[in-house]
Amino acid sequence: MVLIHGMFSNLSIYYFNIAPVLAKHFHVVMYDLKSHGMSERFTDGYDLESMSSDVLALMDVLNLKKVHLAGYSFGGLIALKTALKAPERISRLVVIEAPDPQDEKARNIIDEYSKEFLEHYVANFTDTTKVQMGKRQMEKNHRMYEFLFEKTSIKADMIREKHFLGEANFSELDTPTLLLYGSESNCKPTGEWLKTQIIPSELELISGDHNVPIQEPAQIAEAMVHFLSQSLTKTVTQNHG
Amino acid sequence: MDTINNTLQLNHEELFTLLKGFITEVIGAEFVEEMDITPDSSFTKDLEMDSIEIVSFSEKIKAHFGDQIDFTGWLSSMDLDELINLDLRMIINYIYECQ
Repeated sequence: MVLIHGMFSNLSIYYFNIAPVLAKHFHVVMYDLKSHGMSERFTDGYDLESMSSDVLALMDVLNLKKVHLAGYSFGGLIALKTALKAPERISRLVVIEAPDPQDEKARNIIDEYSKEFLEHYVANFTDTTKVQMGKRQMEKNHRMYEFLFEKTSIKADMIREKHFLGEANFSELDTPTLLLYGSESNCKPTGEWLKTQIIPSELELISGDHNVPIQEPAQIAEAMVHFLSQSLTKTVTQNHG
Repeated sequence: MDTINNTLQLNHEELFTLLKGFITEVIGAEFVEEMDITPDSSFTKDLEMDSIEIVSFSEKIKAHFGDQIDFTGWLSSMDLDELINLDLRMIINYIYECQ
């Protein structure tokens, strides 16, 4: 199975707690999105069409014909786009906390970005994780944000995807889908809406907010294993019964 | 005929040198020059390594020792406080015992 992380993050969101649980059942592939984590930097191609082509190209290189695909946050949108584009290559889909790109808050981060924003972010980071972000990390993060926001097409590409959810034809999607959302998340309405659009889907709420994979990694991993291991008949029955 | 053992057990000093080399590859020689890396260096506080850098470091350990060591499994068994306090000596001792 292939795991896609979210925007401004990297594969470490899965690596330590979620992937080891999945790896007991599946061959797990994680990768860093372009310009994220340890991946090479690119100036363009941050729209869902390009990002989903990247997933399929990765599968081609690894000789994976059909996979379970999971994505978190913006990665969840990439996963949805990939399943719409190449349904024959996705056996099951897990969408974790995919936001509605029409929501201004997600896109405003880009407009509001400045070193002050990062410092504020770091202060909150320190509160929640008890780890002080050092000077080298500050600079490294600052360089990544600065590159993405000022040297790439990420902002324009994200604005172009504003109407993705409304325009996508989810009724044609017959890939069994698990929607995992935080019970306190701002994105929960998107999960509830997707549940009404994707026929073979189920919505599971886990205690937490948008950061639920960090807050409850064990529950996220177990929910995924449970969904991906159950027989197809059961999935269909659950959703129609 | 004797079989040559290629996976000779490394001592603590050799492990320290090996791991220091991995850290240098991950965070870059220019930063390592400014740091005094010792067995007491902690990953998050002293070396300022973030999660993706610890991933790279783990992958290097995996590539070097193979199935001999379940480094990721060992890390994921730790809680947040243990991870924050993780230092090189703890890793050296862990690998030494696994060998």
